[in-house]
Amino acid sequence: MEREQFSDEKVPLFKKWSYWYMLVAGFLLLCIGVFYFLTKHFS
Amino acid sequence: MSRPDWIVLALTLLAIIAYGLYKSRTTRDLDGYILSNRMVPWYMVLLGIMGTQASAVTFLSAPGQAYTDGMRFVQYYFGLPLAMIVVCASFVPVFRRLKVYTAYEYLEQRFDLKTRTLTSLLFLLQRGISTGISIAAPSIILSSLLGWNILWTNVFMGGLLVIYTVSGGAKAIAYTQQLQMIIIFSGMAIAGYMVVRGLPAGVGLSEVLHIGGKAGKMNVITTGFRPGGGFDWNDRYNLLSGIIGGFFLQLSYFGADQSQVGRYLTARSTSESRLGLLLNGLVKVPMQFMILLLGVMVFAFYQYHPRPVFFNQSQIAKLEQSKYKDSAAVLLARYDAGERARLKAAGEPGGREVQLERTQVADRATVKRWLDDPAVGGDSNDTNYIFLRFVTDYLPVGLIGLLIAVIVLAAWGSIAATLNSLASCTIVDFHRRFARAPIPPEREYRLSQWYTLVWGVFCVAMAQLAYNVGNSLIEAVNVLGSLFYGVILGVFLVAFFRRGTGGRAVFISAVIVEIGVIVLGVLGKKGIVPLGFLWYNVVGAVGVVVLSEMLQLNFGRTSAVSKADRNGRGL
Repeated sequence: MEREQFSDEKVPLFKKWSYWYMLVAGFLLLCIGVFYFLTKHFS
Repeated sequence: MSRPDWIVLALTLLAIIAYGLYKSRTTRDLDGYILSNRMVPWYMVLLGIMGTQASAVTFLSAPGQAYTDGMRFVQYYFGLPLAMIVVCASFVPVFRRLKVYTAYEYLEQRFDLKTRTLTSLLFLLQRGISTGISIAAPSIILSSLLGWNILWTNVFMGGLLVIYTVSGGAKAIAYTQQLQMIIIFSGMAIAGYMVVRGLPAGVGLSEVLHIGGKAGKMNVITTGFRPGGGFDWNDRYNLLSGIIGGFFLQLSYFGADQSQVGRYLTARSTSESRLGLLLNGLVKVPMQFMILLLGVMVFAFYQYHPRPVFFNQSQIAKLEQSKYKDSAAVLLARYDAGERARLKAAGEPGGREVQLERTQVADRATVKRWLDDPAVGGDSNDTNYIFLRFVTDYLPVGLIGLLIAVIVLAAWGSIAATLNSLASCTIVDFHRRFARAPIPPEREYRLSQWYTLVWGVFCVAMAQLAYNVGNSLIEAVNVLGSLFYGVILGVFLVAFFRRGTGGRAVFISAVIVEIGVIVLGVLGKKGIVPLGFLWYNVVGAVGVVVLSEMLQLNFGRTSAVSKADRNGRGL
């Protein structure tokens, strides 16, 4: 997918877009983990 | 509503219209009107994406949903962050590089004209009808709660925004959505603060969560597996349907629905389109969690304050005119006395509160049963009324006007973007594409404005029709998007990931699978095939990919090379 990257394109904060993708996927996992804890704790 | 509430509401809405008109100046061509000259920064793309997705029903229904069914609805959004990644990696670069106005334009370059026309037509059909419903749903709630005339409420909800949408196109929409989202977030935060302030001393967030948990409202994660074993395919919201079904739904919505594609194509660069989308992937799930948490907080609030037996007062008025009027009068008096006794018994030992609560729940069930009686012709579902009833009953003067404005602005943000996308597809995919001679830019700009106006009138008329037909249509249209989204997504997935598959195979597959998904929806409605509507997206998308692959094998690979591929512009 990264071959689509444009020459004028600067990735903000990270070196590659794939790091952004990992951040988004990782944050989703974290949310699911926290929600699972809330479900168990308050059930 | 009191006069100060009317003033707050009117000033807020007038400010938005004035701001939209002020920001209307743009170049008088399609680039300016549809894509805002591709000059929108990433944070406005983010707010535009969020404002387009979050309709009035999001803020009306979600707290009520948590109040009645718990917080598991948040799982519906679990597929969104993953969809954002795929859209950023695959869809955005191609759309930007080909400099398309609509997503469907790409399909002609990749496949052929008929595939482009079919998908654009499916979009126009589905979006035109569902936008009418998204005007009707909050209008019905506001009109019955506040006693407003339904026609004027529909015009108020879906017509006023046409002023700045017609005038300023994508640029006015982007700027107003920015302001709208700020007002919406502020309004919801104030509502949350007011709920907490209404709780007794010593009852904080932790106690609220315990109260919610005790009543089964903290079911944030559910697996969808039945206690006896086996997965419940008809269960709408669980971890698996949220991640898989939600992924396909959101991928289709953000990758192949012009109302969203049109938002991120306005960005200054591919990088800013991506950033807006990825940040949406980060904030959407926590944002929905907070909106649902507001519902749990309202639930806890009502443990310490009197609750109505039914949150939609207009239905109680209906009962009082029906054959149940005598029984209803007795029940309502008993219920009110029961509420007072329940609140007095709160915290007392001996379980009296629990006993009283059982009586109240039974009375509420009786009211619902009466409303379900065909002779009464009522609506026994009051989920969408819970949050607004709390607002009108317990919030101070001025704040009620602000919260009503929040609901209206949420509707405007979503509808304005949709009208712009409907007009974009009509002018680009049909009028311009089938015109015999090139159309001058100024005329295209004027035509786009007219199409926006026509779609605005169409959607308000659809809203009025939906009201006249009643709840059955509204419920049916809730699943409408899922009936079409999967197939449209399937066409785009083949376009991006199956280079050897050509237009003929994908067109035939799309038609066959679309018919199949509609049949599945009808069978599901009749209860013959029990399948939650999120799964229709998976069936549609996978169906098109698999069937087109099989057909292409039959046709032979050589015919599949597309114009875009030949020109070296495809993937």
